[in-house]
Amino acid sequence: MKTIKFDRMDKDFTPSRRPFFNRPHWTRRQFFKIAGTSLTGSFLVQRYARASEVMPSGVTTQDTATNVIFILLAGAPSHVDTFDLKVLNGVTPASFTPDTINGILFPSGLMPGLAQQLQNKNFTIVRSMRSHALVHSLAQTWTQIGRNPAAALGNIAPNIGSVVAIEKESQRQPGQVFPTFLALNSPSGIGQGYFSAEYAPFRVVPATTGLPDTALPGDPTGALFDTRWSLLHQIDDPLRVNSPYGQPLDDYNDFYLSAQQLMYNPTVNKTFSFSATDHTRYGATTFGDACLLSKQVLAANQGTRFIQITVGGWDMHQNIYSANQLPTLGKQLDAGVSQLISDLQSAGLYDQTLVLMVGEFGRTVGPLTPALGRDHYPQQFAFFAGGGVVGGQTIGVTNSDGSDVTDFGWSQQRYVYPEDIEATIYSALGIDWTTVRQDDPLHRGFAYVPTTDPVTYYPINELWGS
Amino acid sequence: MLNKRAIAIFLGVSTAALVGVHAADDALSIDQDCPFFGASHDKFVRASMRGFKSGRLVKVAGAPAVTPREVAASALTESVVSSLAPPPPGSRTGTIVDPATANTIDRYLFPAMAQANVTPAPPTTDYEFVRRVTLDLTGRIPTPAQVTAFIADTSSTKRADYIESLLASPLWLDKWTIYFGDFFQNNSQNTQITRFQSGVSAFNTYINSSLSSGKPYDQMAREIISAQGTDSYTQGELNWLVGGYVTGGPVQDIWDQQTANIADTFLGIAHLNCLLCHDGRGHLDSLNLWGAQTTRMEAWWMSSFLSHVTLPRTTVSTNVYYWGVVDNPNAANYPLNTLTGNRPARQPVGTIKNVAPQYLFGGQVPTKGQPYRQAFAQFVTSDFQFARAAVNFMWAQFFGMGIVDPPDTFDPARLDPANPPTVPWPTDPTQPWPLQPSNPQLLTALAQDFINSKYDVKALMREITNSQAYQLSSRYNGTWNAEWAPLFARKMVRRLWSEEVHDSITQSSGAIPTYNMGAVYGTESWAMQFPEPLGTPDGSNGPVNNFLNAFLRGNRDDQPRSGDGSILQALYLMNDNFTASRTSVAKAPKTGLLSTVVALPNDQAINTLFFTVLSRYPTGTEMSQAMASLTATGTARNPQLENLLWSLYNKVDFVFNY
Repeated sequence: MKTIKFDRMDKDFTPSRRPFFNRPHWTRRQFFKIAGTSLTGSFLVQRYARASEVMPSGVTTQDTATNVIFILLAGAPSHVDTFDLKVLNGVTPASFTPDTINGILFPSGLMPGLAQQLQNKNFTIVRSMRSHALVHSLAQTWTQIGRNPAAALGNIAPNIGSVVAIEKESQRQPGQVFPTFLALNSPSGIGQGYFSAEYAPFRVVPATTGLPDTALPGDPTGALFDTRWSLLHQIDDPLRVNSPYGQPLDDYNDFYLSAQQLMYNPTVNKTFSFSATDHTRYGATTFGDACLLSKQVLAANQGTRFIQITVGGWDMHQNIYSANQLPTLGKQLDAGVSQLISDLQSAGLYDQTLVLMVGEFGRTVGPLTPALGRDHYPQQFAFFAGGGVVGGQTIGVTNSDGSDVTDFGWSQQRYVYPEDIEATIYSALGIDWTTVRQDDPLHRGFAYVPTTDPVTYYPINELWGS
Repeated sequence: MLNKRAIAIFLGVSTAALVGVHAADDALSIDQDCPFFGASHDKFVRASMRGFKSGRLVKVAGAPAVTPREVAASALTESVVSSLAPPPPGSRTGTIVDPATANTIDRYLFPAMAQANVTPAPPTTDYEFVRRVTLDLTGRIPTPAQVTAFIADTSSTKRADYIESLLASPLWLDKWTIYFGDFFQNNSQNTQITRFQSGVSAFNTYINSSLSSGKPYDQMAREIISAQGTDSYTQGELNWLVGGYVTGGPVQDIWDQQTANIADTFLGIAHLNCLLCHDGRGHLDSLNLWGAQTTRMEAWWMSSFLSHVTLPRTTVSTNVYYWGVVDNPNAANYPLNTLTGNRPARQPVGTIKNVAPQYLFGGQVPTKGQPYRQAFAQFVTSDFQFARAAVNFMWAQFFGMGIVDPPDTFDPARLDPANPPTVPWPTDPTQPWPLQPSNPQLLTALAQDFINSKYDVKALMREITNSQAYQLSSRYNGTWNAEWAPLFARKMVRRLWSEEVHDSITQSSGAIPTYNMGAVYGTESWAMQFPEPLGTPDGSNGPVNNFLNAFLRGNRDDQPRSGDGSILQALYLMNDNFTASRTSVAKAPKTGLLSTVVALPNDQAINTLFFTVLSRYPTGTEMSQAMASLTATGTARNPQLENLLWSLYNKVDFVFNY
C-alpha cells in the first residue's frame, strides 16, 4: 500500500483544493483496506455507503432551493396571537394592531417588519398543521428528526440537517471550508443520530469575536501556531509515517488537518464575526445575531447548506401579553426574520434559500387561562419564505377560534404533520424524500421520511403554487 | 429503548394530556415495520449473520465474517499503534504463563487462539501496561510517581499488586460511578421525563455508595428493580424505574418499557422489547432463535410483574416535582384492554383478559402475597443469564467488544456449548444455528466466577485485568486479520473518554480547576466526579461543558458515549482555553508541570514532559526533535517548552488508550 507522508499530503491537498470536512476519499479507502473490507464503523463514515445502500425511489422533487434556514420556535408559540391571528374582543391586545394584508389577518403591531414582508408577498403561512404530541422535549425532537422519537430508529435518527449534510456533501466545491450543517444557538438540539460525527451539527453561539477556538489564545497572527504545528509533526511524523507497525493514522490526521483549515482563515473570521451596527439592525438579540450569521454564512458560499436556529421562550403559560412575554419575543422574531429576508434578497440568496419557522406545537385558543396564559395545544402553524416558495399565501383555514382546521388546503386533505414539513424540506432541496438508506447499524433500513405510519407523508407542493 | 431519545431544549414541563397521539405501529406485519427494532447500538442483524461452533467462526454464506465494530477496532488499533514509539530494546514485559496455571480467562482464550492458529500479540511492556490499566480502572493517566514506582518494582507480583492499588483507589470509585450512571441512564432529563438535579444527585449517591461499600451487584439490581418509595430526591434507587416512564399511551406502555429496560440492562436481552409488540415468529426468525419461538403473551408474563407500579409525582414548586415508585397491590394483573398508544393494541386472547406474572426463563411465579417486583427481582438475579450478561457488559469495557457482541443482544437459545442448537439456521438452512458467544466456555466460566465471588464487581475487574489476555500488547507482530478480533489475541485501542481527557490534562499539568455547579451538584474539580453529563460543569453553553461534549460523552439518553473522532476535538485540544491555560508558564501553578520543567536543563525538561504526559520517556528520535526545538535559554526558552507540552497533548498517543 502506498504510504503518504505528511508533507506529501499537504502538497497534494492544499487548503484551496481540499475542502474542510470533505476529506480526501483515498485516505479513508486506505483505512478500510487495512481490515480488508468496507463496512462502516466508529471512525469510519457513511460517505462510503455503496450506491446500493442508498435507495431513492425516483420521485420528482421541487429542487428549487440550495440552502435551508430552519428556525425552531422552541417552547411552542401561540398560533392565534401570531401567524393564525384570531382577534378576540377584550383579549387580544390593541397594540397587536390587526391588519388585513393581502387578504390575510396579521398582527402588524406585534410584527411590523413581517407585516411589510407579507405586504411584499415574501412568505406563506401553513395553518393546517398539527403536532402529534404535547410534551416539549418529545415534540421538539419529533420536529427535528421528522419522526416519532419512540418509533423505529427514532432513538438513533439523525437531525434533518444531518440528512441534508450527508446528501449534499458530494456537491461541495473545492475550497469550501465550512461544515454543511450549522446549528446556531442550539446547544442541546438533536445531533447526527447514527451518522458519523462529521455530519453532526456544527454548533456555534454567535459572538462578535467570531468562531471560538480557531486561533491559539494570544496568537493573533498564527505565527506561534505554525511553530507548534510543525513541532507536532516533527515529533509525531517519524512514528506515524513508515512506522514499523503499519499505516499512518489517516483518519485522525484528517480531523487535525480539517481543524487547521478553519484556523487563521480570514473567511472564517469575517463570516462568523459581526459589527455592532449589524447587530442592532437585526434587533440586538442573540436570535438576531443568529439570523445575521446565517445570512453571512450563506453569502460566504463556503459549503454550509442547512442552518438550524433555535429560539426559545415561547412557552407562555402565564401572563402571555405582559410586556416581557409575547410582545418582546414577537419583536425579537420580527426584527431578526424580516431583516434576514431583506438581506437575503439584496444578497441575491432569497430565491435559493428556504427559510422556515415552526414550533413543536401550538397553544390553547380563545380566552386566556386563569393564569393569563395559553397552555399546550396541537393546532399550530408553519412559516415558509424564499427557496422558490410562492409568497403571500395561506395554506389551510382554521375555524373561528383557531382550535381546528376547516379546510386543509393541500393535496393530502389532512393535517400537515412534522413529517410533511421534513418531506417538504427534502423536496425543496432536490433530495428524494422517499430514500431509504441501508447503512443504519441495524440494517433495518432508514427511511428519510417514515413510511410505516398510518398516513403517507408528502411534501406541501402547494407552497410552490402547484 | 423507547425513551432513549434526546432531550431538546426543555422549556417547560407539560402536564397536558397528549392529543392526537399518533399510533405509529398499527399496521405491523414484518420486521421492517417493527417500531421498536431500533436501538442505539449495533444490534441484531449483523450479529445474527454469524456465530461460533467449536471455537470456529461460522457465518452465513456471503455475509461478512467480521462486524463493523471489529473492523473499526482493528483499523483504528493498527493506526494508533503505528504512531507509537517502538518499545526500547530490553523493555521489561509481562510473561505468558503456563495456561494450565493461568487464570480462568487465559485457560479458555489461549487454547482458542492456538486452535485457530493465531499467534497472540506480544505481552505489554511495563510502560504500556501501567498506562493502560490505570486509565481502564481509574480513568486517568498514571502519575509520574506511579509509573516510576511500578517500573522500579522487581516483585514477581508487581502487576497484581498494582492492580490492587488501583482497585482500592478513590479514583476507581469515581470512574465506575460514571460507568453505572451511563449504564442506568441517570440524567436530569430524557425525552420523556425530568428527574431534576436532585433526583440525579440522589441516584448518583446511591450508585457511588453501593460501589464504595462493595455491595454485591445482584443486590444492587434487586434494590433498583424492587425500589418502593415516594421521593426520588431522597431515595436514589427509585430513579431507575422512573426512566421507563412513557407519554402518549396507556400505562401498559410504561410497564412494557420498564420490563424492556430490565431485560436489556440486567439480562442483556434487548429483543424482549420486540416481543412486547408482537410474537417473534415472522419478525425475529433470522435474528434470534429464542425470540423467534417466543410470543407476545409470554413477554407480557414478564411485564405483568410491573403491573402494580404507579409513578406518582409530588409537586415541590411550579413545574418542579419528585417522583415516587409505588405499588398498588390490589391492581388487576396486566390488563389486555388497549387500542391506542405507542405499542399495538392489547386485546383479550381467548378468555385471558388479564395476564398473570410468570418468569419467562424458568416459569417461577410470585408466592401468595409476595410483592410482584420483589419476586421479579429475585427471579432475574438468580437467573444464570443475569451473571452472564453482567460479565459480558464488563468484558466489553475492557476488551472493546463483548464475548456476545453487542453485549445486550443475547440469544438465550444459543449459549450452551453442551447443548448447541439443532434447528436449521433460516439464513443458511444447510447448517444448524451456531452458538452465539465467541467463546461460550469462557463466558460460562466467567459468569460462574462472578457468582462465586458473590457478584463482586471488583473481583471481576481483578480477574480481567490480571489475565494475560488483557495484558497483551496492542502492537502485533505480523499481519493482523480483523477476523481474529473475537479471539481477543490483541488489545484494541480506544479513544479516552471525555472525562479521561479532561482529568488527564488536569492531572498532568497540575492546574486543578474549581467548578461551582450550583446548590445541588456543589463544587468539583474532576470531570469524573460530575453527577451527569448534561450541562456540567458550567451550563449548557459553558466552555468546559462544550469541551467535554466535543469528546462525545453522550447524554445518557439517545446519544450514547462514543469514541469517534471529530474536527471539534482537534480544535478544542489545540486552541481551547482549557488546554491553553494549561500549557502556559505564566498560568502554571507553582507546583505545576511547567513550573517544574522551566528550572530543568533541556534533556531533563523533555524527559519530564514526556514522562508526565505520555507516561513514557521519549524515543531517540523524539528526544532529538524536541532538543532541536529548544534553542533558547533562560526565560526565552519558556515559550518553547510551552510549545512542546502543547504538542504532547495533541500527540496521537495521548488521547488513546493503547
